[in-house]
Amino acid sequence: MPRNLLRAFCALAIAVSSLGCGKDENTSTTDELGRCADFDPLRQVYWGDTHIHTELSFDANMQGTRTSSDDAYKFARGETISLQPYNEDGTPTRMAAIDRPLDFVMLSDHAEFLGTLKVCNDPSSPGYDAQQCIDYRAAQEFSAAPGFVTDVFVRINGLLNRRPEDAAYPALCGPGDAYCLEAGMDVWGGIVSAAESAYDRSDSCSFTSFSGYEWSGNPDGRNLHRNVMFKNERVIDFPYGYFDEPDAEGLWARLLGECIDANDVCDVLTIPHNSNLSDGVYFEDKMANGEPLTREYVELRNAMEPVIEIYQHKGASECLPGAATADELCGFEVIPFSNLGTAFAERITPPDPKGFLRYAYGEGMRFEASLGTNPFQYGITAATDTHISAPGLVAEDDFKGHGGAGQPNRFLPPPPGFPDVEYLSPGGLTAVWAEENAREAIFSALRRKETFGTSGPRMAVRMFGGWDYPSDLCSAPDLVAQADAAGVPMGGTLGPQPASSAPIFVVSAMQDSTSVPLQRIQIVKGWLDGDDYQVQVFEIAGDANNGASVDLDTCELQGEGFSDLCGIWQDPDFDPGQRAYYYARVLENPSCRWTTWQCAAAAYDCTDWDYAACVERKQNRLPSDYTCDCCDPAAGLNLPFCVDVDCTDPGLLPDAQERCCHQVEPTIQERAWTSPIWYQPPS
Amino acid sequence: MLRPLIHFFLIGGLLFSAKAVSQRSRIEGPAITVRVAADATDANVEAAVGEAILLNEARRYRWDQTDPIVYTHLIRNMRFIEPDSTDDDRALFQRAVEMNMQAHDPVVRARLLYRAREALAFVPDDRMPSSAELEEHRRTHGDRFEREKRVRFQHVFLSRSKRGETLSADARDMRKQLSELGDSVPSGLGDPLPGLRPEQSATPSGVRQDYGQELAEIVEEPVIGTWRGPVSSVYGLHFIKVIAAEPAYVPALDIIGAEVRADRLGEIRKELREERMASLREAYRVQIERAP
Repeated sequence: MPRNLLRAFCALAIAVSSLGCGKDENTSTTDELGRCADFDPLRQVYWGDTHIHTELSFDANMQGTRTSSDDAYKFARGETISLQPYNEDGTPTRMAAIDRPLDFVMLSDHAEFLGTLKVCNDPSSPGYDAQQCIDYRAAQEFSAAPGFVTDVFVRINGLLNRRPEDAAYPALCGPGDAYCLEAGMDVWGGIVSAAESAYDRSDSCSFTSFSGYEWSGNPDGRNLHRNVMFKNERVIDFPYGYFDEPDAEGLWARLLGECIDANDVCDVLTIPHNSNLSDGVYFEDKMANGEPLTREYVELRNAMEPVIEIYQHKGASECLPGAATADELCGFEVIPFSNLGTAFAERITPPDPKGFLRYAYGEGMRFEASLGTNPFQYGITAATDTHISAPGLVAEDDFKGHGGAGQPNRFLPPPPGFPDVEYLSPGGLTAVWAEENAREAIFSALRRKETFGTSGPRMAVRMFGGWDYPSDLCSAPDLVAQADAAGVPMGGTLGPQPASSAPIFVVSAMQDSTSVPLQRIQIVKGWLDGDDYQVQVFEIAGDANNGASVDLDTCELQGEGFSDLCGIWQDPDFDPGQRAYYYARVLENPSCRWTTWQCAAAAYDCTDWDYAACVERKQNRLPSDYTCDCCDPAAGLNLPFCVDVDCTDPGLLPDAQERCCHQVEPTIQERAWTSPIWYQPPS
Repeated sequence: MLRPLIHFFLIGGLLFSAKAVSQRSRIEGPAITVRVAADATDANVEAAVGEAILLNEARRYRWDQTDPIVYTHLIRNMRFIEPDSTDDDRALFQRAVEMNMQAHDPVVRARLLYRAREALAFVPDDRMPSSAELEEHRRTHGDRFEREKRVRFQHVFLSRSKRGETLSADARDMRKQLSELGDSVPSGLGDPLPGLRPEQSATPSGVRQDYGQELAEIVEEPVIGTWRGPVSSVYGLHFIKVIAAEPAYVPALDIIGAEVRADRLGEIRKELREERMASLREAYRVQIERAP
């Protein structure tokens, strides 16, 4: 790591450019709590997306995304943007708009190749003529073959899969990686500047933007990605990625030293995501050096990572069916393998329960018991992880594909079938309970974990825990004021237990005004019993057997639901000597998954479809059409390894092949997950 | 687009625009012939002329022979046409130029147009907006920076899920209670909803998002100080009393400076593109030929 060189670049950037620090002579830096007209000390819900990729991300760029940071902000505020694929003359073939503006957004382009893209696109750069750049540009050619594009993508993006000791910038970055470091710093300046321009600093507080990026370490294909989110315009001078700091501890040390400890203004947090694709190592019991976790480590991790992304377009990370507890709702949007690398492997490894939050919450309590701090005391967020600059594009009936891990939809003609592979999905949204829609308030809400994630719909959910709530609290018009005064909100930790009482939780939820009625509210309780952790799910409001369903041919909803629900629940099995956590899960009535929406809308005929032709298209990595997508009862994973697997009788296949026959569910139950409330027994 | 090629455009753009401006009204520019369809409208003709001028300028600066992307693309074309050729890249490129491939290839055309348009829009230091200019921009384009009107209102809600069949009767009772409430805040009345406050400030569009069109219309009407309702939403019935309405306004520059600057820079780029294009258009002698 050429740190001296990097520092020289930092100094140079600061000297010659105001962009490097995101400053603007016309920008006020004052952002104190209480400046917004709708300030509410009891806090309001604000909706956002903190995981968004634009053309600045290498993977998105390779898939034809040509929309910028500015485009992403416009989209988030309700404007229409154009999408790939583009015609030969550069005109787009698709458009997209969100149904309602978002309140806040953080763009999170992959840090590792910010400089690479600029070097390869800038003929004045000394790295421009490097073979990797030549290949990259050739892959941008309109006529480039899909196989060639994939090869170029894998050769460059595959650097993220190297082990930490081998992590390195691509050779095109030149001696000491200087070309890419300098270019990356310049691009980062532009990202910060765009966030500043998009932020509403008036008392209307109509839109909040955060500067950020994604640290994309992926050793051996194990996803350890984290989004880095800055509180305000004071940011670090360089976006440290995997090639600069090849483990999370190094990243946190950088952020601590160059932001949090550097001055009183800068603040930053990291948001883990896709632990489901980490091969079960995201919540390991050892540090990067292989040593057991120390008290210092768990305190740092607890401080740097207050929240985690429970769901996004590459699946949910809550829990696995059959793992640890009987919970039939753990099957929601589970990616059926343990890391993205196995999509190209000879054997598909099954999802690992250790990559899911239920495991992390249990392990976290165990570490807390021994080390005094819980390293995995995560609040909940959700996001899209869009790779087409479309924050908050979560509608199942308007899914454009999020690119990234999806089909190469830069190619013409546009695929007549699904815009993304079946096991991916539109992703979700983050909601925060904050005093106002401004950086200080939203960032603080994330820090104290007063957040929840949804699978897309904007169903507002409030949860409080306390020891002495009245049984009729759900009927109290001032429910929030009472609950807030006598307890803690989601994300909090219960105070000391009064004599012989058990904690009481109140959960209030309202459906998305434009979506599907609610079905029920559950509380998921996890507790540490000796050295083992347990989980139990409790129904606290609504009706699991309300008979609601959906017509799969039309996606029309059938049956009744609830526009709002409230439940108050006291833990019947509370043991004051046991650590515990409690989070709420709010479920909508069933509705069509995006794949079903697309099949319902498409004209296809399965009476005489040609299975062999579909297999051939897959073998040649060509996009499927609706007949292939909608008629194949085991369209499954669409992975190269799976193409030749005969899914006529999956039960007879070896495990690795049987997973190829995984079928996505035609319907889903959209949901919200709140941050937990924790209980810690007296030490 | 990415901000790629900035150094390249910077140099090329300066040369390009300086040349174009200096030519205005002094010397006659190049003569070109633009062929259009017989039924081309005036707008079609003007677009075709603009593109022809930009392509001609790009060629005058030999970008069609020096641009690295064009270079790579033409070599790729030649290797496709002559798969068995053992010539080196330079020779293949030369042959492509001799075949005038760069004049007809759609990718080269798109690349040259893109580069020319970027060059036209390059903003030199002396066109960067000053604070005074930004203030003027904010003032004269207030509609772009205007913040939506806000309404302060009191709100009482009755839940359809909770009250079921008694909802209508409960609404009648509530209406009576509210009429006797006077100017007091309706604390302790109705049912809770996450985020619902007895008194709040919101924009009509925010109310629409949260509760639907009917409530948004009620808060937008200029009726102050009177309880309205019940108004129906997906959640149940609502009673609304607007206390005050704050009109839409444009924030001061010291608050929204970055936003104004980004908007003005976009405009300057557009102005420069149009100014420089107009200079070129004036200098060029253009012959229009309509296809028979």
